Amino acid sequence: MTLKIVTDSLSDITSDIADELGITVVPVYVRFGEEVYRDRVEITTEEFYRRLVSDATFPSTTQPTPNDFLEVYEKLSKEADEILVINLSSKLSGTYQSALQAQNTYQGKCRIEVIDSQLVIMGLGLVVIAVAKAVQAGASMDEAAELVRRAIPMSHSVMLLDTLKYLAKGGRIGKATNLLGSLLSFKPILTLKDGEVSPLTRVRSRIAGTDYLYNSVAGFSNIELLAVEHATTPDEADELIERLSSLCPREKIYRSNVSPVIGAYVGPNVISITVLEALKG
Amino acid sequence: MSQTKTVAGQDLREMFSAATSWLEKSAADIDALNVFPVPDGDTGTNMMLTMRSTMEEAYRAPDHSASGIAHAMARGALMGARGNSGVILSQILRGLAQGLEGKESFTTTDLVNALQQSVDYAYKGLSNPVEGTMLTVIKDAARAAQAQVADGNDDFTEVLEATVNAAGDSVANTPSLLKVLKDAGVVDAGGQGLHTILDGALRYLKGEAELMRLRKPQIIVSELPHTTPLAQVAGVEEVPFGYCTEFMLKGEKFKPDMIKKRLEKKGESLIVVGDEAIVRIHIHTLDPGSIIHWATKLGTVHQVSIRNMDEQHQDYLEMQKDRMPTTDTAVIVVAAGEGISDVFVSLGAAAIVPGGQTMNPSTKDILQAVESTFSDKVIILPNNKNIVLSAEQVQSLTEKKIKVVPSVTIPQGVAALLAFDYEADFITNADIMEKALPSVRSIEITRAIRSTKINGLKIKRKQPIGLLDGDLVAVGDNNINVVAKVLEKINLNKAEVVTIYYGEETEAAEAEQIAANITEQHSQLQVEVIRGGQPHYGYIISVE
Repeated sequence: MTLKIVTDSLSDITSDIADELGITVVPVYVRFGEEVYRDRVEITTEEFYRRLVSDATFPSTTQPTPNDFLEVYEKLSKEADEILVINLSSKLSGTYQSALQAQNTYQGKCRIEVIDSQLVIMGLGLVVIAVAKAVQAGASMDEAAELVRRAIPMSHSVMLLDTLKYLAKGGRIGKATNLLGSLLSFKPILTLKDGEVSPLTRVRSRIAGTDYLYNSVAGFSNIELLAVEHATTPDEADELIERLSSLCPREKIYRSNVSPVIGAYVGPNVISITVLEALKG
Repeated sequence: MSQTKTVAGQDLREMFSAATSWLEKSAADIDALNVFPVPDGDTGTNMMLTMRSTMEEAYRAPDHSASGIAHAMARGALMGARGNSGVILSQILRGLAQGLEGKESFTTTDLVNALQQSVDYAYKGLSNPVEGTMLTVIKDAARAAQAQVADGNDDFTEVLEATVNAAGDSVANTPSLLKVLKDAGVVDAGGQGLHTILDGALRYLKGEAELMRLRKPQIIVSELPHTTPLAQVAGVEEVPFGYCTEFMLKGEKFKPDMIKKRLEKKGESLIVVGDEAIVRIHIHTLDPGSIIHWATKLGTVHQVSIRNMDEQHQDYLEMQKDRMPTTDTAVIVVAAGEGISDVFVSLGAAAIVPGGQTMNPSTKDILQAVESTFSDKVIILPNNKNIVLSAEQVQSLTEKKIKVVPSVTIPQGVAALLAFDYEADFITNADIMEKALPSVRSIEITRAIRSTKINGLKIKRKQPIGLLDGDLVAVGDNNINVVAKVLEKINLNKAEVVTIYYGEETEAAEAEQIAANITEQHSQLQVEVIRGGQPHYGYIISVE
């Protein structure tokens, strides 16, 4: 039995990791006015953030179509017997719906399972990486799906943003809406709770913000995997990774870029950490 | 994308049919935007039901011309209008029908005319039009369409896109026009509903029907500063709201204007719309009985709905609770100066106790504020070393759990409140906030009350003096000069943000000058200038 893992580009899994672990990443679409790009495939992260700041049009994003998933299912059918699809939070995007619809239309021989992770960015990415490793080590479909479900509550992302402006404009602000309306500027620190954006706290400086990120990692005693992601501040990410390697072996720390699709909602200069706690037993 | 120059009757119908499904998806979200006592407890649902009735009639229309469909829609809307928002929506559709009168299909020029009619009808139906509502949104949308067409644009999709964008901007701006929205930090629900309908129509026109099935309309979020704490907005007011009364009157030879005049003094939020044969009435009144009784003499009464608005208000309060952060801890703050108080409120303070240097509030004053909050767990930020003690006395006088985070300056208080952690419990939060106190340096500029010699400085009465974290460190001839001297004592190369709160007797221009001086010397710093309005202190400055 061959089992293949599929996720979407909002997992922030880089192509290197995807190749190494045999993960198929379905791109989400990002749109500037009439121009439509496939996330990471047709628009680079750098190009995207440059345009996010300079373009008058505010970008919007669109989930992959059911057909995008169907094509992936059919392609994988040639080499696999089972497909496990793990998508970002259905509260943030309709990607999960597309993957499900494709599953219903699919007429091939593979057994397909689709899971709504309630997570996004490396929160999702680390879960996918962990399960892909388990599959390489011989986990079955049922074991892998069970692993995903158990790992979901163990995955914690904390994001430092420069502003709430983009989140408010994009309509994905979730419970952080009560941070809006401040007369002082501040940098919000957010997390994902029950699949929705939720506020943690506010800081006034980047340094205080990255300290907060570091401390939130330091609060965990049993780190399985760790991820650091940035949008436009690579040096800051490297510095943070350097500091974090005292808490977690360097080879367990994944470095990635925040997907432009997420960038459209959180703005440039976002930096985030994700902790995947070790599963008990 | 191919250009669309004209829209036929069936396209019009399909556009609005798609718009109705689009609205359905966010009806609940729009309901959640309601701000009592802006009329209607369930705007999203009301508009959706109005649109359903509109479309049922549209599909029954024997005449498939644009005019025929639009008139059928207008009729369906009037018959099925629910709530204030539904009635205004029916007027907008009626204007549209008037504007498309006799048209087989229509162009962008026709659209502009029709939208103008919509604006006119929408305003006409109301005895007391309020800006910052659907009315403003349709007006701004119509104006944008007008501007496009005046520029010679005849592509329907482009004109409608500009119209939808303008409607969106207008929705986002509603809180600056209507205080009750600003206080609650939401946009107008009816305006949002209208935007969703127009957006739905546009998306259909752009061929996104398939996508619309998978996606959901976005609720526009207000980014304007909150000026009142949520707790206060949701506060218990004992004024009765009366009954939201709606019904339809059928008969002949009605004069809606006359009916409106008769009812004007009978209640609030009066809307009377319709024609000679059908009139729809919406009013908030303490005595619905007498109005219905009077109406039965004019014609037959249909679809009577009388809802107790005090009950709606209770539902609203419940909904507000859901919108509030999950934390059960309230923070109350001692502060002087309107601007500074507004800053604290905008950062989530549940109550402000007026006070500060030379006007220390009593323990009783602070206790009152503690008791006024909904929370059982209260953190107090005294923001002055002479108030810390009175704040600490509060615990012995209340059943509530109290923690005093001993902030001794305004910047410390702000830093502590910012550090509030929405996921942490009461004790942890007090700890986090206390730890945040040293993260900020506080500068206070005031005037010497007597001549003296201190810290090696020779000070004359009334001379400007500068304090750094409470220690007198500088004296000078003017504020600008003293601020500069104090700043020299801080390593600004490691700082990121400087916030300048200028006092009630300080000129804004001087504050801007100080900000400019800092930026000139330290370009990496982000400098914010805020009118703090505080007494005694010309400037309070935080460096972090």
